[in-house]
Amino acid sequence: MTAQTAPARERAGVPARNRLRALVETPEVGVVAACVAVFVALSLARDTFASAVNLQGMGFDLAQYGLIAIGESLVILTGGIDLSVGALLGTSVILMSWFNVNAHLPAGVAVLATLALTGLVGLWHGLAVTRLKMPPFVVTLVTYTVAQGVTLAITSGTSIVGISGFFSNVGQTYIAQIPVPLILFAIVAVAAWFFLERTYAGRQVYAVGGNPEAARLAGIRGDRRVISMYVTSSLLSGFSSMLVLGRMGVGSASGVGVGWELSAIAAAVIGGVSLVGGQGRILGIVAGTVLLELINNGLTTLQINSDYTNIVLGGVLGIAILADRLRAQHLSRRT
Amino acid sequence: MLRAVRKSYGPVTVLDIPELELKRGQITCVVGENGAGKSTLMGVLSGTVSPTGGEILIAGQPLLPGRPDHAKALGVSMVAQEFPLVGRLSVAENLLLGRHTRATEKAGALRRALFDRAGTRREARELLEDIGVHGVDVDRPVEQLPVPLRQMIEIAKAWGNRPLVLILDEPTSSLGPVEAGKVLDLARRHTAGGGAVLFIGHRLDEVRDIADRVVVLRSGRLVADLSPQEATEERMIREMVGSELAHGDIAPPATVEARTVLVARGLAADGLGPVDLELRAGEIVGVAGLMGSGRSRLLHTIMGAQPRTGGEVRLKDQPFHPRHPADAVAAGIGLVPEDRKEQSLLPLHPVRWNATLATLRRDSRHGVLTPKGDKERSREIVKDLGVRMHSQEQPIGSLSGGNQQKVVFGRWLHARPDLLLLDEPTRGVDVGAKAEIYHLIDQAAQDGLAVLVASSELEELLWICHRIVVMAHGRIVADLRRDDFSKERIMTAAAGTQPLVAGMEEPA
Repeated sequence: MTAQTAPARERAGVPARNRLRALVETPEVGVVAACVAVFVALSLARDTFASAVNLQGMGFDLAQYGLIAIGESLVILTGGIDLSVGALLGTSVILMSWFNVNAHLPAGVAVLATLALTGLVGLWHGLAVTRLKMPPFVVTLVTYTVAQGVTLAITSGTSIVGISGFFSNVGQTYIAQIPVPLILFAIVAVAAWFFLERTYAGRQVYAVGGNPEAARLAGIRGDRRVISMYVTSSLLSGFSSMLVLGRMGVGSASGVGVGWELSAIAAAVIGGVSLVGGQGRILGIVAGTVLLELINNGLTTLQINSDYTNIVLGGVLGIAILADRLRAQHLSRRT
Repeated sequence: MLRAVRKSYGPVTVLDIPELELKRGQITCVVGENGAGKSTLMGVLSGTVSPTGGEILIAGQPLLPGRPDHAKALGVSMVAQEFPLVGRLSVAENLLLGRHTRATEKAGALRRALFDRAGTRREARELLEDIGVHGVDVDRPVEQLPVPLRQMIEIAKAWGNRPLVLILDEPTSSLGPVEAGKVLDLARRHTAGGGAVLFIGHRLDEVRDIADRVVVLRSGRLVADLSPQEATEERMIREMVGSELAHGDIAPPATVEARTVLVARGLAADGLGPVDLELRAGEIVGVAGLMGSGRSRLLHTIMGAQPRTGGEVRLKDQPFHPRHPADAVAAGIGLVPEDRKEQSLLPLHPVRWNATLATLRRDSRHGVLTPKGDKERSREIVKDLGVRMHSQEQPIGSLSGGNQQKVVFGRWLHARPDLLLLDEPTRGVDVGAKAEIYHLIDQAAQDGLAVLVASSELEELLWICHRIVVMAHGRIVADLRRDDFSKERIMTAAAGTQPLVAGMEEPA
């Protein structure tokens, strides 16, 4: 009997140890744990933090940033970068309200028209990067600049008022106490997870980001994957702008979008996405966004002077990058 | 002098030399096939490669391993094959890079911190005159100069360090006869002045011309130490290819099917062709040739990884014109590329991902990939190929070279191609795994695949192939059937001196 139980225990024990080791080596573990720790700490420090109202407010913020963080991450996975996600979001807010108010288009048509335009912008990014071999940094930096200019040119600094009620229906309502934007974000996140983990095209995205030449010689049309990721990123900026517009109630460009690309990149990196491409998962990206939002909101709740917010966020980003680097060195030493 | 110097990459030993002494006033030539360890030897001596073991003494002083600056301080100067010149800087600035001019050498700290432009130009001109290069504008950026001149500047730079040991790694490969003569003169002058020269040669006539001693490397080992009288070209070739390895252990399948898989007519691409080639099912055809002869280009052009500029290819009697490797994969071709790290692997990703890369699409239904199907496929691949690892989720970069290569083979064998293109299939693979890979190739041919193997290891082609085509300058210059195999004939043909025909095709 003992002779039988020994191998049986071994069979059970080895996977368990492997699973534990796999868990420790999973890059997302750290950020998820950090989310939990920060959440618990802030809840204990201030009663108001975990209140329904505050959580709902965080849900709205999370949806806005999270959508462009997912788009940004998809591009980074291919080995690129998209600096235009924030500025394009700002422009989309203006375009959407302009289509709706000044061009008298129904809300749905205004949304579709804006999405079509952002899709074209993404297509341009993808083609420029793959066909013209332009550096993604430069291509999207141009869009970043132009998009800001377009926003100003349309509004001259004023707001567009009188948008359809459709937007506030999407951007300000709740289903079962859960903000609609948060639900939409969750749907997009699940879709992105499914794409990356459960489709061959998703796996090919990782392959292209991990080693473009190996992917090419293995018969993968990397260009198509790269282009579609840029298109998706821009579309998500457009989509997110609908939620932002609905939440604000007016088409305003002030304080919207510009600089958000950095939050998106930060969320991706904190979530374990490697800036050289090919590495990172949706769980980490979402957790990275959540962590940034928790810290952002927590600093407000703790009534810490908002001038210090960026110092803290920058510090968190620095720690995340350092941790990622140390982990990578640890792994490469083993190989 | 070197003592017990070894260099290994993981389990693969690329250099193992018990002792080698370079004498003052002597030109020591090193010859060997590609991958024999010549460049590694140079690297170890000049401090750019850290040896795994052993010690190096220069004029009695031990060299700190992996410290190029220390090697330079001890008097080792190397002219590498790929010139590490700074393109944007001028000729003069490159020549004096990393040291001071004579005028500032003994000056005060402030003076030395400032850049001595006039002195730099003056000394640069002197240096170039000294090695016999005239009429070069020392103010021009190096990147604007033609390659041969850049090579001469690189040599002048090494010379300018007034070294004790001058290492020249195939210094004449990019030079015309006049410049080549100047380089050989310089080597003689250096030894006449009491220095030592280590000369890596690729042209055997040149080696015979200048050597005071010839050292032959094969598979990282020093196999012969010849005097100039002993070092005839025949002798050097014989030592380079070696005959120590067991024959008869491995042979290709006895029969080849009549069915033609691939027919190429006038196939041409940048640096390739026109090439005519025919492959039948179950046939293993080797592609031999020197470095740069177009072996990889031929494979890449068939695969659609390099644009074709002319010619026609028929695959299984269908016209075949791939615009992307994806077309080739869909049509039934697989490629195991030369450089595993750069061209085949996703090094940080799991074994599983690497194994199923070429079968992903086939194994997914409506684009959806089930984790079960993916794992199942990967498990079959590593089982079929006997990959040794502890988990298919471990990064493939942590496996040995041989096991990595087996995963890449499995990736393609499971894609069920009709034609398998193999580029240096056993590079960076230890001896045991080599035999396994030969067996895999053999098995693939028995299963009816046509196999085209490019390799710089002649031995293995002689073992595993039904037929060998020899390439030189992008063309096929010889086509030998197994009965006509001979190392010397292949080497001669590859060197391009006399094309020979012994197969069924006329040389292009």
